[in-house]
Formats: sequence, structure tokens, C-alpha cells
Amino acid sequence: MNAAVLRSWLRLFTVQAAWNYERMLGVGAARASEPRLRRLPGGPRGERFRAALARAAGYFNAHPYLVGLAVGALARAEHDGVTEDQVRRLRGALIGPLGSLGDRLIWAGALPALVAVGLVVAGMASPVVGAVTFFVAYNLVHLTLRTWGLAAGWRQGTGVARALTAAGLRAGLRVAGPVAGIAVGVALPVATDWIVADLGMGPRLGVGVVAALGIVLLRWVAPILGGLRFGLAAAFAALLLGWVWP
Amino acid sequence: MTLEMVWLVAWSTLVGLDLVSVAQVMIARPIVAGTVAGLIVGDPLAGGLVGAALELFALEVLPVGGARIPDYGQGAVAAAVTAAGAPRALGLGLAILVGLAVAYLAEVGIQSVRRANTRDVRRHQDELDRGDGRTIAALHCRGLVRDAVRAAVVAVAGLAIAGAASRWPPVSVGGAVLLTVVLVGAGAGVGATGAVQLTGRGLKLGWVVLGLVGGVAVVVLR
Repeated sequence: MNAAVLRSWLRLFTVQAAWNYERMLGVGAARASEPRLRRLPGGPRGERFRAALARAAGYFNAHPYLVGLAVGALARAEHDGVTEDQVRRLRGALIGPLGSLGDRLIWAGALPALVAVGLVVAGMASPVVGAVTFFVAYNLVHLTLRTWGLAAGWRQGTGVARALTAAGLRAGLRVAGPVAGIAVGVALPVATDWIVADLGMGPRLGVGVVAALGIVLLRWVAPILGGLRFGLAAAFAALLLGWVWP
Repeated sequence: MTLEMVWLVAWSTLVGLDLVSVAQVMIARPIVAGTVAGLIVGDPLAGGLVGAALELFALEVLPVGGARIPDYGQGAVAAAVTAAGAPRALGLGLAILVGLAVAYLAEVGIQSVRRANTRDVRRHQDELDRGDGRTIAALHCRGLVRDAVRAAVVAVAGLAIAGAASRWPPVSVGGAVLLTVVLVGAGAGVGATGAVQLTGRGLKLGWVVLGLVGGVAVVVLR
């Protein structure tokens, strides 16, 4: 890994730092692209560098772990001298797939699945072992994806769509949903049982009743409420009940 | 300010930054944030328990695009401080409530940072369109600083709320148990709803049901 690639890779870890409603990840993506664009003919004071950086800072959105794929591919396209129009089209074409792929693979797959594993280990062994298990396992996936993305993007350039159909990604997409579903399903009773281990049978039944009410409310009655607001409302009701009926 | 408080503020600030702006190595997950905060205050079990409880709430969050994201990680740090040293069934509910309140506070803060970043970007449209590297670096840096300040403010506010809740608990003993029952139940309900959202409807829901059957079997057979 040369210095420019290393700087680009490190900057990917702060790609969302300037997230905004105007250009979303554009500023962060430009910051991550900059080390590689500096080597364009004319150098960092040249017209090609400035034009490429301006394009890199435009509206862009994707899953943060997969931005490297776009950063690598777009930097390579600039180096290969493809037209401005082609770069813009490539950029636009990557937004949807990189967002959707990352959301399905990570936010709805690896993250909940490995959190669930961490919860089960915490409940059955110790919270420290559970937290460490989750942290190490998750970051193996996370760092592999970031590193692979940047390298694959640069390697493929305008043909980056080939990288999106890599066998590993396709296999990951196939298993991510089911594995997350099973893992979270196992973790819910195990973690809840661990948390309320000190309570008697009556309060435990109460936990089950509140959980069932929560599912009905959040799934069918008022899904717009969201978990946090439901939790705060439930706490308020419990506090009120506790004061009225101590 | 004690050394322990300095560590807690530093840890909570890092957790807040990890949520969106820096690294996203998931120290912001409540199970990690709460357990480490528990280690700092000398009660890793309490930290792990509140972390696990808030993790049930966090399972519902899909941080896509510009979604509103409660920071359950910073909430877990404050919750761990509240729960440390207290009897489990009595301290847990109040600690989860503190965690939820701090998570909400952080969510509001994230929206403010995003709006400030947007105003900053709008003010520098011309430089961005010219490909000015210095402007891009400055915008990026200011975004980082804004989020660091937000995370630090939430960290200090969270610890203040935790301190107040531990010193002047707003509930009786019976009320504390009721709060624990209600909030752990709410968390389980939110987590189950999140699991359904993750997998989708119809036959796909079978994976969650399969997991639930396995999880209940583990609980019964332990």
C-alpha cells in the first residue's frame, strides 16, 4: 500500500464527518479521493486535478463502508482520462447499488447478526467476552470490506460493476438476511432472560406482556412512533403509575 | 472532576464520534459502550446489562441515508454510571430510562450538526464547484469538530443526568421494579419489531421464528 493509497484509506474512516443534506457524502468522498487525484497530469495545482476534485465533491451517497469502491473507481477513471460526462454517469450509477448493497449486507445483515452473537455470549459467559466477541468479529468484516472496496474500485475503474457481482458479495447477500433473522431470534429471549434473571415469575410475565404490547403498537398501531419514543412513553407511564400507586 | 469522570467523558465522546463521523468500528453499540463504561466505574456486569437492554432498542435502528439516529451508545455510558453499584432489579429500569433520555438528546444534536454542515456547504458552493482542495479540507475538518463538540456536550450532560438520577431517584422501590419490568419489556418488543423489519414479511419471517424457538429452548434448557 503506497502513501497515497494509505491516506485515501485512512480518510475513508471519516467519510461521513461533513455529512450534509446538500451533497450528503460528497465532501467526505472528495477528501478521500484527493491523495490519488494529486497524481493526475499537472499535479495538485493543475486544471485536471481541480476539475476532478470538483466532480468528487458533488452530491454522492452510499453505504459508508463501500464508498471506497466508488472513490477507487472514480479516481481510476480520472487517471484513465475518460470524459467528464462518463465520470458523472459512473458516479450517479454507483449511488443506488452501493447504498442498497451495504444496507442489506451490513446494516440488515452482518451488524444485527454479530450484535446478536455478542448478546448471546454476554448472557451465557460474561458481558466483557460478549462485547469483545462482537467487536472483533464485526471489524473483521468491516475492515475487509473497506480495504477490498478501495482496491477493487481502483483495479476495475469504469468496469467497477464487475466488482459488485463478486462471488463473495453475492454469497454474503444470500445468507445475510436469514443469518441475521435466526441470530436475532435466538438473542432476544436469551438476552432478555439474562437481564431479568433477578426478577420473580410475576415481573417476568410482566416483561412478556409489555413486549407483546410493544410489538402490536410498533408493528400495527403506531409504527411511526419508533422504538426510542415508545420506550420514553412507556417509562413515563411507569413513573406515573409508580407515583400514583407506590 | 475525578480521573474516572475524565475517562468517562473521553469514552463517551469517542462513542459519540464513532456513531457516524469517525471510524464506525461500532464502539458506539450499547453492548460495547456500556460494558467499557462499566469497567471504568468498576461494575462491568451493570454496564453489560444496561448495554444489552439498550441494544434491544438499537436493533430497530437502520442508519440509512439521512435517517434520525438515536445514540444508544452514549446513552449506554450514562446508563452504566447510573446502574453501577445499585441492586440489579432496582437500578436497571432507572438506568435504561437515563440511557433513553441521553440517546434522544444525542439524536437531536446529530440533526443540529447536519444542519450546520449543510449551511457551511451552501456558503462555499462556488469554491466546491471550482475544486478548491483547501475548502474541502476545511469543511471536512469543521464537520469533525462540530460532531466532536456535540459528542462531548452529550457526554457531560449524560453524566450529569446519571449523577442526578443516582442521587435523587424519582421512584420508590416498587416503582423502580415496575420501571425495570416496563423498560426491559419495551426493549424486547422493540427488538422483536426490529427483527421483523430486518428480515421482511412472509416466509422470510420464518428465520426469526426459527431463531426464537432456538432461543427459548436455550433459556429453558440452561
